[in-house]
Amino acid sequence: MAAEKVRTTTHTIEFPYTRTLGPILSGFLTGMREGRILGITTGAGKVICPPTEWDPWTGDAVEPTLTEVGPGGTVETWAWVETPTPKHPLDRPFAFALIKLDGADTAMLHAVDAGDMSAMQTGMRVTPRWKPERIGHITDIEAFVPEAKGG
Amino acid sequence: MADAEAEAVDPNAPVTGMDYFMHLEYHEVLCPVVRRYTAALMDGKLIGHRCPKCGLVYAPPRGYCPIDVIETSDADEVELSNRGVVTNYTVVTPVQYYGQEKTEPFAKISIQLDEPGGSLNLQDTIDIPVEEVRVGMRVEAVWAPPGERNVDEIGNRTFGSAEGAIRGWRPTGEPDLPKEQFVNAGY
Repeated sequence: MAAEKVRTTTHTIEFPYTRTLGPILSGFLTGMREGRILGITTGAGKVICPPTEWDPWTGDAVEPTLTEVGPGGTVETWAWVETPTPKHPLDRPFAFALIKLDGADTAMLHAVDAGDMSAMQTGMRVTPRWKPERIGHITDIEAFVPEAKGG
Repeated sequence: MADAEAEAVDPNAPVTGMDYFMHLEYHEVLCPVVRRYTAALMDGKLIGHRCPKCGLVYAPPRGYCPIDVIETSDADEVELSNRGVVTNYTVVTPVQYYGQEKTEPFAKISIQLDEPGGSLNLQDTIDIPVEEVRVGMRVEAVWAPPGERNVDEIGNRTFGSAEGAIRGWRPTGEPDLPKEQFVNAGY
């Protein structure tokens, strides 16, 4: 039997929803809109960014007072994405990285637009590239870029 | 959206919500009988399978008769009529949820096709106001021009769909058939 061309159909299911943020993440994302990165301080004086509503080491509630960290930071670990999907933050190869911002004790997951995998290194310095129009979302930072290239 | 408007009014109000998209995309390999059905639609033909045992015509073809529990094949294929009668309908008043493209009420009709038979569901209407759609009305298919047909959205489970090939069904102008004929009709 002659090989018949396999035909496929594509289904896309999509719906939007809005998550209520609560006082701490509301403050964090309001900071994003202002172009500032905010963390929260635990009872033991550790600064967590992105902020949580509790102290991850003790489970205690934290005071809802946010402090500014960064904007620069250090890459703690990273994974290179060679073939981004349409849902990835960048349309060209990039790294997902855990970035410990200056003044913070925990790392934040974000994209690093380094151009090439050879430009990535654990311990490298990065700085955020902000979108000109910000809405109060984690993607208000388009990506982090190597500090030498400027932000 | 209401939230976006509220933010537009006061750009300095705290951010209190975060919008997400639940997004799932998947690919489905079409089974041979659906491939043949969609290829026929591209050629401007409706096809079905007639069960060799009970004689019931399935449109689109399924590759089996669920009543006699036997397989049907290309040998059982029949070309279907482009005319039929409305046996049932639903008027949908669209709610403007995300992704809804329609703004005005519209009707989806079930059609019992003329000889050799078969029935199609969830078909669109053309050239008739929704309030005039009725059981017993005679209709005919309005095909999209050959160059404008696209059956990419027809999958294995879209039974009865001819979307992308048949634009809809319009009244033929013939007298209605008695609607009592179609009450409790099952296909």
